[in-house]
Amino acid sequence: MSIEAVFIKGKRKYIFCSDEYGSRVLSSVFEHVKKEKLAYEWYHFSAEKREWLEEFLSKQKMGTFLYVVLPYSELYTVQMMAKRIGFSSDETQYIGYGEKWISIFCCRCHELNRAEEQQTELTCHQCRLKLEVSDHYSELHHAFLGYPATG
Amino acid sequence: MKWTGDLAHFPYPFKDSTYRYSNNSIPMKQPLSIEVTPSYKKEMLLKRKLLSDHPERCYQSLLHSMTGQWEIVELVIDHLVSKYPQDFSVKKENNSWIFTNKILDEKIEFIFGEKNSLPCEPLFFISQHVQEDLIYMRQRDDNLYLDAGQLCFPANWSLAFNIGMKFKSIHHPIPGFKEEGLDQRILQFLMRLEAGTPWERLNWSLMAGDRLDTSLETFDQWGRLRKQVTSENAGELVHIRVEVQKLFRLPRTNSILFSIHTHLLALEQLATNSEWVQQFYEILSELPAHIIEYKGISNYKKAVLEYLEKQLQQVKTL
Repeated sequence: MSIEAVFIKGKRKYIFCSDEYGSRVLSSVFEHVKKEKLAYEWYHFSAEKREWLEEFLSKQKMGTFLYVVLPYSELYTVQMMAKRIGFSSDETQYIGYGEKWISIFCCRCHELNRAEEQQTELTCHQCRLKLEVSDHYSELHHAFLGYPATG
Repeated sequence: MKWTGDLAHFPYPFKDSTYRYSNNSIPMKQPLSIEVTPSYKKEMLLKRKLLSDHPERCYQSLLHSMTGQWEIVELVIDHLVSKYPQDFSVKKENNSWIFTNKILDEKIEFIFGEKNSLPCEPLFFISQHVQEDLIYMRQRDDNLYLDAGQLCFPANWSLAFNIGMKFKSIHHPIPGFKEEGLDQRILQFLMRLEAGTPWERLNWSLMAGDRLDTSLETFDQWGRLRKQVTSENAGELVHIRVEVQKLFRLPRTNSILFSIHTHLLALEQLATNSEWVQQFYEILSELPAHIIEYKGISNYKKAVLEYLEKQLQQVKTL
């Protein structure tokens, strides 16, 4: 995941997907695209419009390049969505901002809990089981497995 | 659920006096994905209750697994009917199938390949007729993915968490598995599996209690028994848990059916065979710490060893 958007030349079309803050991060690349009169489209992201994004991205043709700038809390969902649709890592740039956190899958009730990156223990907010954060990771859930705490 | 059959038929898992993780798969003599044991009715009752009460925990599937699920239905029904014709039958007219389970007195009519002809997904349906847990691994992009599964009797893992995972990621928690390169070797072995040449292996662990359902989700219910084991009660309380794991290549989808039949034997039953006691004592005494830890035996290894020692002394004084 990059921290600064970089213009990638030679693409058929450019998609910019971001919220208001993200549009500022993408402004230099956007100016470049405009200046060279290349095809582009903006998708102004909001959590409510997440479902439509899937439909929007699914309609794109080969040769489309995707820029996404969103808070970390939304970025992974969009990243997984784009991957599912068929965007490869060579056709995308993802930039996250804001508080970085990880998801912990509760082994008892399957609830996803939010935790800080360095956190090793937590209590599941749904079933109240004390969990130990493991390094067992699921790409599908985008979460680490929380085992019952033994201590 | 304790072993009620003839001890001679128990899938005793050891050959040597030491144990390490390995690819101990062997070609199957009888290429059958299933086995019906004397506890069939009891286990089906338990399995169906678990599937109905905890569907998310016991059943998971991804959309693209449907063709593979039908392949499993075909394979399992064919095996049931050919091995146990007195208990199972199937009538196929084009795609109209009538499957009869005489043990449970059930007759199911469906159109093979048509999902809506069954009240549930095909894998869910067939898993209600076999004691085995059934895992569907799809091969693509030079890898294996857990794309569907019915798992009622897991040895402390979560199907709901592992769904969609690659082979190596599934085995990530096993200490030493990656470091020793076993994950890559076994993955390669599995990807070379050929249709018509199934393999099987035995996996074992110890557990306090006699529950078949030792899911990670219910660890807080069954895991606490580990602290109650003493050398006095180990014979009754502690069980050796053996999984008969079978691997079948499904040619249409180039995927793999992984069936797991779990058996439990109380140590006091194991102790009736003096050679087994001696061998198991040697294995447990020598077992490396990381395997002891992963198999969850740390809390009561000492108590079990004391129990086995007593049994061995009794044999010597006879």
